[in-house]
Amino acid sequence: MTLVLLGLNHRTAPVEVRERHAVTAAEQLALTEKLVASPEIGEAALLSTCNRTELLALSEHFDEAADRLLACLRHEIGDGTIAVDHVYLLRDRYVVEHLFRVASGLDSMVLGEAQILGQVKEAYRSSVAAGACGPILHRLFHRTFRSAKRVRSETGIGTSVTSVARVGVELAREIFEGFDEKRVALLGAGEMAESGLLGFRDAGAEHIVVLNRTVETAVSLAERHGGKGLAIDSLEEELGRTDILLTSLEVERPFLARSTLERVMPLRAGRPLLVIDLGIPRNVEASAGELSDLYLYNLDDLAGVARAGRVQRETQIPQAEKIVEVETERFEIWRESLPLVPAIRKLVERSESLAFEEVGRHMRRLRELTAAEGMPLERELERIARGIVAKVLHGPLQALRSSGSGGWAAYDAEAVNRIFGLDEENE
Amino acid sequence: MTFSAHGLALLCYALASAAGWASRRRPWAARPVAWLLGAGIVAHAFAFLGFHREVPPIPLESFPAALSLMGWLFAAAYLLSLGLTRVRDIGPWVATAALGFTALGDLGLRFLRFPGLGDSSGTWSHTHVLFSAAGFSLLALASLAGVGYLVKERSLKRKRDLPLPLPSLESLDRTESIALGLGFLLLTLGVGTGFLWATSFGERLWTGHTVFLLVSWVAYLLPVGQRVVLQQRGPQPARTVVIGFALLLVSYLGGRLVGGGV
Repeated sequence: MTLVLLGLNHRTAPVEVRERHAVTAAEQLALTEKLVASPEIGEAALLSTCNRTELLALSEHFDEAADRLLACLRHEIGDGTIAVDHVYLLRDRYVVEHLFRVASGLDSMVLGEAQILGQVKEAYRSSVAAGACGPILHRLFHRTFRSAKRVRSETGIGTSVTSVARVGVELAREIFEGFDEKRVALLGAGEMAESGLLGFRDAGAEHIVVLNRTVETAVSLAERHGGKGLAIDSLEEELGRTDILLTSLEVERPFLARSTLERVMPLRAGRPLLVIDLGIPRNVEASAGELSDLYLYNLDDLAGVARAGRVQRETQIPQAEKIVEVETERFEIWRESLPLVPAIRKLVERSESLAFEEVGRHMRRLRELTAAEGMPLERELERIARGIVAKVLHGPLQALRSSGSGGWAAYDAEAVNRIFGLDEENE
Repeated sequence: MTFSAHGLALLCYALASAAGWASRRRPWAARPVAWLLGAGIVAHAFAFLGFHREVPPIPLESFPAALSLMGWLFAAAYLLSLGLTRVRDIGPWVATAALGFTALGDLGLRFLRFPGLGDSSGTWSHTHVLFSAAGFSLLALASLAGVGYLVKERSLKRKRDLPLPLPSLESLDRTESIALGLGFLLLTLGVGTGFLWATSFGERLWTGHTVFLLVSWVAYLLPVGQRVVLQQRGPQPARTVVIGFALLLVSYLGGRLVGGGV
């Protein structure tokens, strides 16, 4: 069985391409179900974040599986226009290593960010719900979580960084002296908005407004962390007085049009407005960035800002990569041992059957011994044990003796020592 | 002794400037900036006292002395404003500007000779030079902040890193606004006392110097009007402040070239 991964991310595809291949939570489940229903695919999972869309599959045939995943990405997720340059395709060990690196935040735009682990867990849950997660993907995901936790706890890769939204706070410092007198508006009330809210609150912002389509969600988020929840209808009015707008709505096309901002900007008397668009697809019409005193940054633009803060964390990369390497090796050893599983099972079954047969043969005599007190029961049990060992080892010992004539005796002796740990016993 | 004090002031400004720039990467280096500027100001003040006691005294009205005075005013204005405004992150720029003006002044004072002003030197001339130099230095600071704003604004719009770190847009805008307001006020006082000086000693009133100074004063009405009347901020007033200072420089140098003034 071969592991196949096909996808695109912030390194291979610009935001315009990524937003055309973004997958919502509902689509994620349906697409995973469709993938696993394909004859080429045995197990499947789909990982979708604002910076990546990746399809993972287990298959007997690499080429057919890769074609199926590409067709899914191109036609079922995207609009059929994706260029091959934007896509990467990985196999077996590289898939394992890639997944471990992704979940650890080593492949993230903000090095060491923690949100990605939650998104990988979501992909796993979706795969389980779709009935697409078999024993190998199940084990792979659990090893992924373990690897990510080790990287986070054993290295300093996650220190002084939290999320993409918090990189926005660093960007805002380029424009504003401080945040205590600034008004921050969050458009959307999801995980990104929450992260942004916490980031700006920790930086000293006191006037924070959450705007959402479902006003109850906005109010709930605002109440949890301090702020004010409002309906999305008051956005235009809010834009007149806000200094920083962070958007993270799940939309199909830009929600905030240039024309709206054109109406608002003259009312601000030259006060700068920073708009951080964390949505995929983007929430704000890209051409709005041309307006005077408006600074529009999308996820790709934030990558440059994130790079500036990663120098310290980069020193932790070698240690983190080492953990990923060790965990990959462990998983691969397990995966490579999979063909032995039927043989091991047969060996255990055969040994047990021989043991039961031997016990059965001595059962009558055992009953007699138990009935007549003072008889040597220990000797009888010893005889049974010897009989079992002789029966179990009869075949292997014969095979070993016959191999001696073929010149393989030394190799076989080494194998026997290794399998049964005889060298360790001697030491 | 006089030039030693001036040299010491230069050294202090240079160290403050170096510490200020180093603090971008090593935050602990920001601490001594204000102290070094303070030490520079004290040494600089002793140097000015020394100029006055030299035989013959070095006139404050001379160009190098005025430049040196601007350096002193730059540093003093910054230290005074520290407690009032949040412009701490322009420290390295102020220290560098103070260093530049003082160094130019130092060179001029060491290698040029200055004719005395005779009877016309006195309270009015000193007041005129003091106000004008103070106004000039603050308007230069406003202009520097304006240039910084425009450069930073462009880099943020184009999403490109700058080779040198600049303060935040808001810091630059605030610095420009405060320096423009105070600088214009002092320049107005400088122009007024200049006219009083000229009239009280029967000097020719409309010389090249006075005409150009008046023209640049009028030119500065535009950014002041934008800031005060229209309450504008951002790139538009930044552009006019830079243009205003360019005019002021042209008028000062032009006035000296055309002649008819100190």
